[in-house]
Amino acid sequence: MPGLVPGIHVFFGAWPKKTWMAGTSPAMTNEKAAAVDTLKVRDVKDVEQVVRAALASEQPLEIVGHGSKRAVGQPMATNALLDLSALNAVTSYEPNELIITVEAGAPLNDVKSLIDSKNQQFAFEPMNTSMLLGTPNIGTIGGMIGAGLAGPRRIKAGGARDHLLGAHAVSGFGDSFKAGGRVVKNVTGYDLCKLLAGSWGTLAVMTEVTLKVMPKAESERTLVLRGLDDLAANRAMTAALGSPFDVSGAAHVPNSAFREGLGALVELGSVRQAVTLLRLEGITASAAHRAVSLSAMLASFGTAEIVEDAVSAAIWNSVRDCAPFAAGGALGAWPVWRIVCPPASGGVLGQALARDTGGDVIYDWGGGLIWAALPPSADASAGMLRSRVNAAGGHATLIRAAEPVRRNVDVFHPQAAGLASLSKRVRLSFDPRNILNRGRLTRGAAT
Amino acid sequence: MTIMMPASDQAVLGRRDAIVADLRAIVPGEGVVDSAAEMIPYESDGLMAYRQPPMVVVLPDTTEQVSRVLKYCFEQGIKVVPRGSGTSLSGGALPLADGVLLGLGKFKRIREIDFDNRVVVTEPGVTNLAISQAVAHAGFYYAPDPSSQIACSIGGNVAENSGGVHCLKYGMTTNNVLGCEIVLITGEIIKVGGKSAETSGYDVMGIITGSEGLLGVITEITVRILQKPETARALMVGFAQVEAAGQCVAEIIGAGIIPGGMEMMDKPAIHAAEAFVHAGYPLDVEALLIIELDGPSVEVDELINRVEKIARGCGSTTVQISNSETERNLFWAGRKAAFPAVGRISPDYLCMDGTIPRGALPLVLTRIREFSEKYGLGVANVFHAGDGNLHPLILYDANKPGEMDKAEAFGADILRLCVEVGGVLTGEHGVGIEKRDLMPEMFSDIDLNQQQRLKCAFDAQGLLNPGKVFPTLHRCAELGRVHVHGGRLAFPELPRF
Repeated sequence: MPGLVPGIHVFFGAWPKKTWMAGTSPAMTNEKAAAVDTLKVRDVKDVEQVVRAALASEQPLEIVGHGSKRAVGQPMATNALLDLSALNAVTSYEPNELIITVEAGAPLNDVKSLIDSKNQQFAFEPMNTSMLLGTPNIGTIGGMIGAGLAGPRRIKAGGARDHLLGAHAVSGFGDSFKAGGRVVKNVTGYDLCKLLAGSWGTLAVMTEVTLKVMPKAESERTLVLRGLDDLAANRAMTAALGSPFDVSGAAHVPNSAFREGLGALVELGSVRQAVTLLRLEGITASAAHRAVSLSAMLASFGTAEIVEDAVSAAIWNSVRDCAPFAAGGALGAWPVWRIVCPPASGGVLGQALARDTGGDVIYDWGGGLIWAALPPSADASAGMLRSRVNAAGGHATLIRAAEPVRRNVDVFHPQAAGLASLSKRVRLSFDPRNILNRGRLTRGAAT
Repeated sequence: MTIMMPASDQAVLGRRDAIVADLRAIVPGEGVVDSAAEMIPYESDGLMAYRQPPMVVVLPDTTEQVSRVLKYCFEQGIKVVPRGSGTSLSGGALPLADGVLLGLGKFKRIREIDFDNRVVVTEPGVTNLAISQAVAHAGFYYAPDPSSQIACSIGGNVAENSGGVHCLKYGMTTNNVLGCEIVLITGEIIKVGGKSAETSGYDVMGIITGSEGLLGVITEITVRILQKPETARALMVGFAQVEAAGQCVAEIIGAGIIPGGMEMMDKPAIHAAEAFVHAGYPLDVEALLIIELDGPSVEVDELINRVEKIARGCGSTTVQISNSETERNLFWAGRKAAFPAVGRISPDYLCMDGTIPRGALPLVLTRIREFSEKYGLGVANVFHAGDGNLHPLILYDANKPGEMDKAEAFGADILRLCVEVGGVLTGEHGVGIEKRDLMPEMFSDIDLNQQQRLKCAFDAQGLLNPGKVFPTLHRCAELGRVHVHGGRLAFPELPRF
């Protein structure tokens, strides 16, 4: 086609014919790789053309940045990959305005280094999924937003959705549109950015986003309480988060019969002993002072050890990335659920789940986020797990599982009928022909 | 001053008596108000220059009544305008002549306070301040603090995505709401979110917040509550030039300090406020910054020192630091009274609301002064300096012929300027009717169509609050059409899903 470099195939009217076979054979993955046509776009116009061609030929697209999270979600039946990795520029970075505007294919690690150089950060602590999913250390800004996986500081700073100020995207109508703006205080029209965050590429193809950045804290301290069971830990975390000491991380790693130590959590001592972690950030004098005050307040839970700065930061990176359940670790073959629930109920839910399945759990967000690694089974104990999570008022995502399991199970939490219908209408209002990541969020052919 | 609203449905108006009777069967007794005199309080919201009697006012008590009223209106093709406390400054609750004005004022109960999960579950008619008051005994509060918080309803806050002085550090309404119960125009009741930090699936709560009554009627809200900071102290800093004040703001942010609040007032605003409140504001400065730092006292005391140093480094002419709660409140008294203070010096005023990049402030204020001369109307500026949200207060006298039109033209020029410098039309007051016709300044037709398609997913008939936010109404079938490259579709013989 005129104007396009070799390697980009845009066909108006016909895709190259590939045979596509559904099935549960592990070899299908290789067939999939062979059958997939990769469309590496250079700019927004290319994206529009690709989406329009996909519409014209009714062929769905799989959307990737670096593809770090392709194994999350229902397995998709698409044979065209829209690759945005060449849209990787930082358009503008204004530290004093607390904003950065980046193309969606920009590598997350590079952008983090850039803002780190100005002592700034994405306050919602985006998860690096490479350890859990067993991929190289890759991933784009677009993927960060589309997945919406926020880390420990979510309890204070909010999630990805609270940091996406504006976006340019191409809808499933093939049109470029703008959402939001470049300022935080913006109530002009509907807040479409909230829908884009966490949408797993199913509403629109983001091409450029404006994100809020925040200053990094000068210093951090982490209180370590040892030997608490899940319920006591939940109570300790609840007490800490209800205190005026401005806690910015509250996690609990139970003692484990299965895990080897991995990463910074090993530095804390034997994995046979539970550790409850509470983070305080701020100027040095403040963090240190509050650590002492919080320690005193939690004295009934035991004597807290206090770790500082770099050691503390490494621990929270391990919590953020769910390091104990790493694909390369002892539990690498186990399916992992990401459960979100009211924080004060987390301990009861997680403890019973671990006990009754023989699995392993890790708590973050004060108990409001539970990572659950379960012994392998055909359905990853979905029925039992979801019924308990529903009873607790939460929801669960099967964030890591072998492809055959993800074929059998609803990866994303089934919603009540009314909300599910509404959500479907919302999706169709962006992507009427179900072109973008068709079948990723819900099971069933052509859904 | 007139503003175009959707044409009234004469057939509906012709059936008014029967409609009123049908509504009385759903909401008995005084829950349906249809006499002209009794409807007067509902004819306008906080944008008081615009008044319109509704066809009828309905004040339900229960979610079930809300559902049945909406279902009835849906079946009958009757428009609905929801209303909280009616404090909107953008005309969001302006009634329609052929519409039901649905007031949620009777939904005044706090349903649950859950300190362990740090949430409050509330009905939408509860005032913003009442939520904080309900949890104050345990040292908690609800952070977003619009200045009308003593009167504005939490349901209205969600509809507008309201802000306030402290949203720089603590976020806007959307960053502090975890879930809601919403009734769609069909009467369907949908529960979104709850006490968990985030929902599964699409962030429907995020799209409901700030939707200005166009997507549904909210009947319950779950909000986050926070522990009150250990202490708060404020600095009041005067500058001889606005540029210096702007530089100070940039340097504070650049130093990694996020104050609890950071407000700026220009000279006219300072003078008006001081005449009203006598807070001791310096009268010879061009710009006054009020910076509040809150948190643990060790932190606050250190940050006060750092901010003072920055302020002096930027050439401040006066610096005062609060050493007590009384002093801190006195610093704020003038700023909080800025609007009524301006109301004393002018028969009328128009409060604008736009957001600009912080760095553009000196330029924008210069241009606003030029507009002021062009229109011959005075203006006082109050600015949420921390997040770039500007409130120009345009002074006029409605009794002078043409003056209100001039004021509105002045306001529109300011908002266009906000967009021109990279900002937005509205930072916290909402679009309503006030900024509706300026939407094309910020959004292309494609952008607006995408937003309207979302509306179609919630309210395909366009019965909820038509005439607000969007300048043109589209039919949903028309918006839903896929236009692909000349309309050609390949392989026409293949089945389509």
